[in-house]
Amino acid sequence: MQPLSVLGPDAATLVDALAARLEGRTAVVDHAAVDAGEQSSIATTASLAADGTWTATGTDADFTDMLDRLAPDHDYLLATGFSRLRVPTVLIGDDRDPTDVPGDVVATPDAVADVDLDALIGTVEDAEPWVTLETLVERATAHPDAEFSGAIATFTGRVRAKEEPGDDRTTHLAFEKYEGVAAERMAAIATDLEDRDGVFRVLMHHRTGVIEDGEDIVFVVVLAGHREEAFRAVEDGIDRLKDTVPIFKKETTEAEQFWVHRQE
Amino acid sequence: MEWKLFADLSEIAGGRTVTVDAEPGDTVGDALDALLAEHPDLRDRIMEGDELADHINVLVNGSNVAHEGGLATELDDGDELALFPPVSGG
Repeated sequence: MQPLSVLGPDAATLVDALAARLEGRTAVVDHAAVDAGEQSSIATTASLAADGTWTATGTDADFTDMLDRLAPDHDYLLATGFSRLRVPTVLIGDDRDPTDVPGDVVATPDAVADVDLDALIGTVEDAEPWVTLETLVERATAHPDAEFSGAIATFTGRVRAKEEPGDDRTTHLAFEKYEGVAAERMAAIATDLEDRDGVFRVLMHHRTGVIEDGEDIVFVVVLAGHREEAFRAVEDGIDRLKDTVPIFKKETTEAEQFWVHRQE
Repeated sequence: MEWKLFADLSEIAGGRTVTVDAEPGDTVGDALDALLAEHPDLRDRIMEGDELADHINVLVNGSNVAHEGGLATELDDGDELALFPPVSGG
């Protein structure tokens, strides 16, 4: 699912214009809407009561829940009034400083008339998709050989706040990827594991950008005939990803910031 | 030719890409020398004496040159060069 947040007085107008242009299942999430559960012509309208507050930093838990819940069966999510880490965000007629917005600010038009919708849709398409473990499991079970599968093994890597009780907390990690080459290597690992007897589908996804303490980083999902080959493939999948895929991690704790490879 | 740099290497060089004076027909080693001439501060980070440090990866078009012709590999027009420390995903 490709998400986009829009903030500012004209946010709803821009979201409507985008929703009319996007092809695919689109969820519209409106922070200000109060008619909970209201359905519209588009696939899903998730509504939340406005609480009048909007925090400039960190994670909005409700928004994250909606992203996670809607990701497996939507192609797009358009949100007004919300922004969070790793979600591309448009500030429309909104003079907030882009650096005060938690999402990645991709455009700052004054009004809807100033927006190049084609360019903005291109930006939405090119952004990192919002992928959850559930997204990958649903994709795996859609495999034509799923009727021969009696096992799904999954691995989720997440941000560990501490190794020991006395440690400074790790507040977040920032991941950077060698675009293109990282995807090629992950695809090669998956294809190699799928060549094993009884392994039908291997899917992996590694998030990039800033990921906070407790959030998920990486998923590996294996659809297999039996548990033995599922467990083996999921372990080898994450091990090979960590050894060979060009992704780089910078860690920030309460006390310091460092590239992880430099500490090893 | 253009180098793509990752992690602390791009921080040291002050950018994710560096264009260097190397042509098709030159070697990867020539392009590396040109990079070090442009950014001498990278030398301490990536070299051990006159040799590229073992833990530093050099890729041409996504393939590690250590598994192929090494720094003697000849460059072709349009090659993509990348330099990075040990990977640390997950």
